[in-house]
Amino acid sequence: MDNTDYKSKSLPFFGIPKLAPFIKPYKKKMVLMVIFGIMVSVLDVLLPQFQRYAINHITDGVFEKTIVTFVVLYVTTVLLECTTNYLSCLFSANLEISIARDLRNACFNHLQTLSFTYYNQNGVGYIHSRVMSDNIRIGEVVSWELMGVVWNMSYVIGTMAVMFATNVTLTLLVITVIPVVLLMFSIFQKKLVFYHRRIREINSRITSNFNEGITGAKTIKALVVEDKMINKFKSETQNMRRTSINHSKVRGLFASTIVFASSFALAIVLWRGGILTNEGVMELGTYSVFMSYSLGIVEPIRWLVDSVSGFIMTQVNIERVTRLLSISSDVNDTEEVIKIYGDTFETKKENWEPLKGDIEFKDVSFVYPDGKETVLEHFNLKIPQGTTLAIVGETGAGKSTLANLVCRFYEPTKGQVLIDGRDVRERSQQWLHSNMGFVLQTPHLFSGSIIDNIRFGKLDATEEEVMEALRSVSAEGIVEKAEKGLNTDVGEGGDFLSTGEKQLISFARAIIADPRILILDEATASVDTLTEQKIQNAITSLIKDRTTIMIAHRLSTVVNADMILVVANGKIIEQGTHRELMKKRGHYYDLYMRQYDEDAVKQTLG
Amino acid sequence: MAEQAHIKKGNRKAKTRMLFNFLKGSYLLFFAGIVFTFLISFTDTLNPQIVSAVVDGVIGDGAENVPQVVEKIIELFGGYQGLKDNMILTAAMVVSIAFISAIAYFSNRYFITNASETLMKNMRDRIFTHIQHLPYSWHMKNRTGDIIQRCTSDADNIRNFITEQLISLFRIIVMLTLSVYYMYSMNLTLAIISTSFIPLILIYCILYRSKVGKRFREADEAEGQLSAMVQENLTGVRVVRAFGREKEERDKFTAFNNEFAGMWMKLNKLFTFFWSSTDGIGYLQNVVVVTVGTMLCIQGKISSGNLIAFISYNVMMIGPIRQLGRMLAELSKADVSLDRICEIMSAKEEHDRPNAIELDKIGDISFNHVSYGYEERKVLDDVSFTIKEGQTIGILGGTGSGKTTIISLLGRLYDLEEGCGNITINGGTDIQDVKAHWLRKNIGIVMQEPYLFSSTLGGNIAISTDDASEDEVRTAARIASLDETIEQFKDKYETFVGERGVTLSGGQKQRVAIARAVLAGTQVIVFDDALSAVDTQTDAKIRKELAVHFANSTVILVSHRITTLMNADNIIVLDKGRIVEQGTHDELVKKDGLYNTIYKIQKSGSEVE
Repeated sequence: MDNTDYKSKSLPFFGIPKLAPFIKPYKKKMVLMVIFGIMVSVLDVLLPQFQRYAINHITDGVFEKTIVTFVVLYVTTVLLECTTNYLSCLFSANLEISIARDLRNACFNHLQTLSFTYYNQNGVGYIHSRVMSDNIRIGEVVSWELMGVVWNMSYVIGTMAVMFATNVTLTLLVITVIPVVLLMFSIFQKKLVFYHRRIREINSRITSNFNEGITGAKTIKALVVEDKMINKFKSETQNMRRTSINHSKVRGLFASTIVFASSFALAIVLWRGGILTNEGVMELGTYSVFMSYSLGIVEPIRWLVDSVSGFIMTQVNIERVTRLLSISSDVNDTEEVIKIYGDTFETKKENWEPLKGDIEFKDVSFVYPDGKETVLEHFNLKIPQGTTLAIVGETGAGKSTLANLVCRFYEPTKGQVLIDGRDVRERSQQWLHSNMGFVLQTPHLFSGSIIDNIRFGKLDATEEEVMEALRSVSAEGIVEKAEKGLNTDVGEGGDFLSTGEKQLISFARAIIADPRILILDEATASVDTLTEQKIQNAITSLIKDRTTIMIAHRLSTVVNADMILVVANGKIIEQGTHRELMKKRGHYYDLYMRQYDEDAVKQTLG
Repeated sequence: MAEQAHIKKGNRKAKTRMLFNFLKGSYLLFFAGIVFTFLISFTDTLNPQIVSAVVDGVIGDGAENVPQVVEKIIELFGGYQGLKDNMILTAAMVVSIAFISAIAYFSNRYFITNASETLMKNMRDRIFTHIQHLPYSWHMKNRTGDIIQRCTSDADNIRNFITEQLISLFRIIVMLTLSVYYMYSMNLTLAIISTSFIPLILIYCILYRSKVGKRFREADEAEGQLSAMVQENLTGVRVVRAFGREKEERDKFTAFNNEFAGMWMKLNKLFTFFWSSTDGIGYLQNVVVVTVGTMLCIQGKISSGNLIAFISYNVMMIGPIRQLGRMLAELSKADVSLDRICEIMSAKEEHDRPNAIELDKIGDISFNHVSYGYEERKVLDDVSFTIKEGQTIGILGGTGSGKTTIISLLGRLYDLEEGCGNITINGGTDIQDVKAHWLRKNIGIVMQEPYLFSSTLGGNIAISTDDASEDEVRTAARIASLDETIEQFKDKYETFVGERGVTLSGGQKQRVAIARAVLAGTQVIVFDDALSAVDTQTDAKIRKELAVHFANSTVILVSHRITTLMNADNIIVLDKGRIVEQGTHDELVKKDGLYNTIYKIQKSGSEVE
């Protein structure tokens, strides 16, 4: 994914027009920023003139007479410069923060509406850096860098104007340096960008090497391949070192040629200006000020050149963010549905009818949007209200597909999923989800307290209701032993709790809203035996009167299910009740026997 | 309190030693870089002197206070008279100095980068090597994400501090010293006026830092929290959707995001004020210097050339002083990073005993009264058994019975503590007296959840051998029933697996691990529930192949399926860390204990329905 990003072509005006809707609300501030920025550079150009005046009037006695006016004017100009500088920086800072904030909000909100196709295709780290770092960078560019350009540009123009006004020939000589600087830039730029990318690539390889060396520690030790790993690592770091040094040579050459080129500006002034001053054509103060101008002009030019490359690099950030914002979800409610049921953020609960829980797959064919293989083909299945469907199979075999379709996380490629006899697309996602309970294999809790997390299932739940939900899954112990009870902080991602405790809380969260459809996605796979026992007991009572889809890899839980589907390599290979499937002596039988043996040991030896 | 101070001191020592180790091999490069830094500062401060000399000596009536170096340079270019006659030589003079400066710039960048990259490579290599040599128990205790964070961002922080801050500190000091020296040599009064501003600005910087510091850290933390919130929302996207909590998430995020932005707005107001006010102080200082300087010049106390040069130096000073203030903030950041890496580097590596030996083979293996516990919990309690050379032994036990611990102890992934029994081989040699690497090289362990490296399939199979031929790899794959699966991939044995390649299923991974073990062909081979994710048919097929292949090896089978173990020469039944029964299948069945109970249940299970 990252690789394709770098190849993105140039956007007109560095992609900034794409950000127009985000800049628009701050147009006034931006204009003020630019105006004050120009004022700053005009004042900056003026300041050396005081120096010139002073030096020019050393011998003629004018300076002593005008000293009070001189100081007053000089100090006023300085104060004016500081004030305008302060204001332009303030507006710039304000813009930076505001635009980055708005972009973050927009990205975050948009992400809430994107379907799982997007999430499957893009890693969390990737999306995360879109929301955080890319937006921060964009904020910087449209404020500081833009102001830098304004400031430097007007400084260069202002300086040149003053120089021309003072001495045309000398100025013409000095500005011959500019094309040289630009030429240098165009020569070096490509190489620099190239090395920059290479270094980033190698860097990410080094990080994955670290990752491998740490997560694979047990295997590495058992196989005694430490030295192999170390050598592999060292060859990457060596590669990094070599590339970085090559990069530094190019950068060094670039920087030093600019230093060298800028010295020509000084040399020209010293030489031609010296002659002019000697001849009495030019005053000493003018001569000295010319030197500071010609030296001072080089840095802003270099800065301008640098910002161009900065803008080029930022195009990638802009592109990534605008692309994220322009991706539309492949699961959308239609206009009519939104009109009645409301959208993701503004629901119209008054129009929601109750959900009973009849589920039907009608001639469903399904291909994952990012996959090629057909996972379901003309699939038909009825899950009547209140019954339990179990789906079993090896980890990673694609057991979640049916649940994903019922939840409308994906929509069927062909055919229909019916809820209470109506196509799931005829009502809003929010309506559907508010009637569903969901427990995942790896419980995901949010930072906050236990009660916050359980209320995620029902926002207005009273403490009594929360406790009741906890009791129904025999999890009240977690709260009772904690000092702060329900208000106990669970830490980031629930890290202060054990996996078993987290899972129990996520059960309570799923159950508190009394959902009509309950989905248990390998809910007991990652918990210890004791918790599993607790959950097992709870499940029996929880699934009563609810339509349940139970994805399981422990088969003891599914024996009583009304229907069992066996999945392998993403396809349903067997279907029936426990009794039927055992008789068949197929895949299910295999799986069951293996676990049966395991359970035998577990029961006997504990 | 005293003790704490002592620890702190010891820590500082360890940190310094670590830093010096990291810097090994880059000292000279840094030194060269610093030398060129001096040269740059020197040439930079030379220019105003040249200008001054030209103004006074060539255009005016005579130069004063010209440093010797400048005099020498002017003589080189024909003296004042020569320059006067041929003004272009002044230009040549400036360009020549610039040429030297450009070379210095280039060399400086080259040497500093080289030093910095050498330091970085050395640091990374040392950290990685150290981590590879840390005992497995260390890996168990620490979280991967945290370690990686330390290896990457903290290492970066240290590098940046040394190569950017520390080096520019040298440069600033040289610049300041030279500027101040030149200023004082030109005019004492003016120099005193000018430099009296230095402490003023410096104090202002420090006061300001301490004021902003707290807010800055707060904003930094808020960013961390905001980032964590996004992270949580993204990883929990399924939960958010399934509960229809998009709106609440949005509101929560927006509120926090706005608060975070508000913090930065306030902070930026302070920053902006600071910038423009220090600018202001600098400019005001310049007003004083220009006004007083001109007055002095009128009174003839300073030449006009000197005045021009003086003003240039004065401007040159302000920037570096402001930079000094920032450096203090960076210093504490780097120190924290150094601490975090030091924690990794000071963890003890695995060590063989001083007289550790290598043997010619592994014969009999005995566990003698072995007890082992992680922290408080006892995982193994007084376990004793013997495996004769060439025997197959089965270990039966549930989750948490200590099966895997036995294997880990045998491979010395953990070491036994004093008084907790011992494990001996060949009738008496304690395995702790044997080199750990030799031991592991000769005991093949096939784990239930093996790790595949980001490499090709072939590379993964041949990982522990250096000179396996293609045929050998194919044979190993065939024995592990992996050959057909591999043929299905487009790139066959060259198929890339791991982080950036094809994802294999649990069963396929297990078979790769078996192929690895087959190829390694060790004298002792352990299968730790190694076929749990393979389907029954393939399982049987593989087991038949393995029985032939490992006919002469000592084999340890760990499983909870009696059918897997029943042909073993000896079976150990483990329960909560203790051996409860031991013997051959027939003996154990006859005994009618726990083993037989399990056997009966499993047997009846296979007959149900």
